[in-house]
Amino acid sequence: MYQGRELVKAELLADTNAVVPGKPFTVGVLLRMQPHWHTYWKFSGDAGLPSEIKWELPPGWKAGEIQWPIPKKLLDPGDIQTYGYEDEVMLMQEITPPASLGDAPVKISAQASWLVCERLCIPGSANLSLTLARSTTSSPANAELFARWRKTLPQKPPNDLAVHTTRGPHELSIALKSPAIPKNASAAFYPLPDEKTVAGHPKTEWKKDELIIIVPFETNPPEELRGLVVFDNGTGWYIGSASAQIATPVSHAAVTRGLWTFLLFGFIGGFILNLMPCVLPVISLKIFGFIKHAGQDRQSIVRNGVAFVLGIFVWFVGLALLLIGLKSAGHQITWAAQFTNPYFVLLLSVIVLVFALDLFGVFEIVLPQALMHRMLHSGAREGEAGSFFQGVFATALATPCTAPFLGPALGFAFTQSPLIIMSIFLAIAAGMSAPYLALSIHPAWLRFLPKPGSWMDHVKQFMGFLLLATLLFLLYVLGAERGYEAMTWASCFLLVIALACWMKGRFITLMASRLTKSFVFLLMLALVIGGAFYFIGDKFRSAKIDIVQASGDWQMFTPDRLQTELDQDHAVFVDFTAAWCITCKFNEKSVLESASVRDAFTRHGVTKIKADWTNGDPAITKLLQQFGRPGVPLYVLYPGKSGEPFVFPELLTKNLVLEKLETITRSTIASQ
Amino acid sequence: MKMKSLLITLSSLIAASLFAADVPPVGSAAPDFSLKDTKGQTHSLGQYKGKYVVLEWFNPECPFVKKHYGSDNMQKLQKEAADKGVVWLTIDSSAEGKEGYLDADAANKIMTQWKTKQTALLLDPDGAAGKAYGAKNTPHMVIINPDGKIVYEGAIDSKASPNPADIPNSTNYVKVGLEEAMAGKAVSNPQTKPYGCSVKYKSM
Repeated sequence: MYQGRELVKAELLADTNAVVPGKPFTVGVLLRMQPHWHTYWKFSGDAGLPSEIKWELPPGWKAGEIQWPIPKKLLDPGDIQTYGYEDEVMLMQEITPPASLGDAPVKISAQASWLVCERLCIPGSANLSLTLARSTTSSPANAELFARWRKTLPQKPPNDLAVHTTRGPHELSIALKSPAIPKNASAAFYPLPDEKTVAGHPKTEWKKDELIIIVPFETNPPEELRGLVVFDNGTGWYIGSASAQIATPVSHAAVTRGLWTFLLFGFIGGFILNLMPCVLPVISLKIFGFIKHAGQDRQSIVRNGVAFVLGIFVWFVGLALLLIGLKSAGHQITWAAQFTNPYFVLLLSVIVLVFALDLFGVFEIVLPQALMHRMLHSGAREGEAGSFFQGVFATALATPCTAPFLGPALGFAFTQSPLIIMSIFLAIAAGMSAPYLALSIHPAWLRFLPKPGSWMDHVKQFMGFLLLATLLFLLYVLGAERGYEAMTWASCFLLVIALACWMKGRFITLMASRLTKSFVFLLMLALVIGGAFYFIGDKFRSAKIDIVQASGDWQMFTPDRLQTELDQDHAVFVDFTAAWCITCKFNEKSVLESASVRDAFTRHGVTKIKADWTNGDPAITKLLQQFGRPGVPLYVLYPGKSGEPFVFPELLTKNLVLEKLETITRSTIASQ
Repeated sequence: MKMKSLLITLSSLIAASLFAADVPPVGSAAPDFSLKDTKGQTHSLGQYKGKYVVLEWFNPECPFVKKHYGSDNMQKLQKEAADKGVVWLTIDSSAEGKEGYLDADAANKIMTQWKTKQTALLLDPDGAAGKAYGAKNTPHMVIINPDGKIVYEGAIDSKASPNPADIPNSTNYVKVGLEEAMAGKAVSNPQTKPYGCSVKYKSM
């Protein structure tokens, strides 16, 4: 009450006449203000306070976020700008009742509090409540009112909206581009800064076909800024400006490509994964399996093929689910990110070693269930379970090889909805498994493969050495991540594993007595667990990291270093690499470190920066995402302070690098 | 493309410089002013060189100002500052005819009634001093060091609400800022988002 008037009339309303257990409904707090008085939006601007709603709900009930209608920009003398609602506003929230409810009518209550201002500000609050019948069916209530207020909510931004942000010392500049924005429409931006930043008044302007929003800051500009773009026809979109660490525009052409293109890329990329050096050993293992089965009946071949393919799919579906989960939990996640975790690499090393020992004949992998089946049916079940796990294993190894087609497809997937992420991963799985499915469904093609014989044992043992080579690579990655000391302790643990495998092969046989088996099994268990605790839990974990990161004339990446170089208008080449990335190593050896390219870098005065993503440095992750890439390799040439950075394809060639160095330095000179 | 980047950079720079004229950033020299207090005496910032100065934008009708005076929080802070030799200038930038405008008599009455403890309450009905500091809220707080540089500007504390019950659970940025600055340390939160009512400047 103020001077005898009730400044705000508050009312709680629902869009339903009854509560149905488990069925969400919407409630609205309708605030009716005296003429010219206003309450505030969730960011109030230079003055004022957002309205608040505190719920008192029975246990098991949930209230969603407040859905804020698009506010008005209100101006006061002295350049004071606030965001709020005049006359009336309804703040809607979704309420979810639990799945089981008593029969009695339900009462829900909330305390709404607000600051209402005209020329003066008065804080107010009201305790509101609403009683709804409990029923198995419900019909809409206050339909016209809710429909009217839902129309005032911001809309979903168009899918093809490209947003890119440039971060200056005192402001963020956000460029929006989409055919859905009416050209030269006048627009405003209402920022949603966090508590640590003090945002000024955003300005908007058109530059050709882009709508540019400039948000000044009194504090340092944040890395990310969310806000509401409002057009003069009353529509509005929430946009989140992606992280903007370095003030260089980035081409987002990749994002605007269609879903079908990306599914196709996913499929092709999946197929190419088969040829990657990191999967090849397991794949040859599988081919060898087909050779072995070539003599068997057709059904068993199909069954094995399908089991292998299933393994591939399960891995990718699992990966997709993990990704969706992490994405919704708000983590930054990138392709091959699991390789930045030394414990994952260690686990993979153990698996590779165990498979190698299996191939050498030190012991045989028999799954307990498969063992049972073999005793009961003497069928080919063991082969199927084995095939399934080989499928899983082959794909686990394949992930760090971001094949050229896979990169953009995944880059796209990471920005998409769970459904699209899942479809892209399924496309990759389909691509990778296509050749096996074809071979098992058309076993006629298997006829071209040689007949089984004693040579198979030799090939099998030879494959073991390929796996050992893979193991050496994994140990090299561990060394790069955690230093040579950690690598040594990991090798000690691997020795213990090898010993345990040998014990299994030598003593746990079908002929051995139950007592021997139990004793050896316990001993194995003790060895493995003891080894894990001592070598991994203690020594490996605490090993000191002595990584030499920058090598030769390459500088180590830090965001500041890159910015400093660019501020001085130097041309900069950034090599995004990781110890576990074979393509990166290949490009470095054959192109970047070749005499002609080294000379060209020196001649053109290009600063060389190495961004080593071996341990998943978050600053590098951010920059990768800015370029729409989920992982390494990535090669970028910045021409200097101004001008667009050039992104090289994932497989570098000397000619391309030399050519680009020429053109870029020439244009820099021309522009001076 | 090159042209476009250049335009973006240029326009950002212009926007930034316009904005910089708006609000003197933390670390820059505090704009000088010359205002009459409620007793008719003139105060300028220049005369307090060599001392710490706190500026507080004030409007007796604003619920956020009342929060800190009604709970005795502001008076306590003013007393603490005075004991340390800090000059505390309360400024009322409300224009004549607007909420919170005070003439000398009305201001003296409120100071007595509310038992305020500042060095002086300055009247700025033109809003010149308020605009020079980009003050948009009451309360809006500024700390100036003996060299005449701004070391803090922003909110009085960390809980943006008109409810006095929130005071014990909030961090008082002015108290902490003064303590840190006077101990020769860098102010840990040199700039925060002020909260409160808008300053009731003269309509253009």
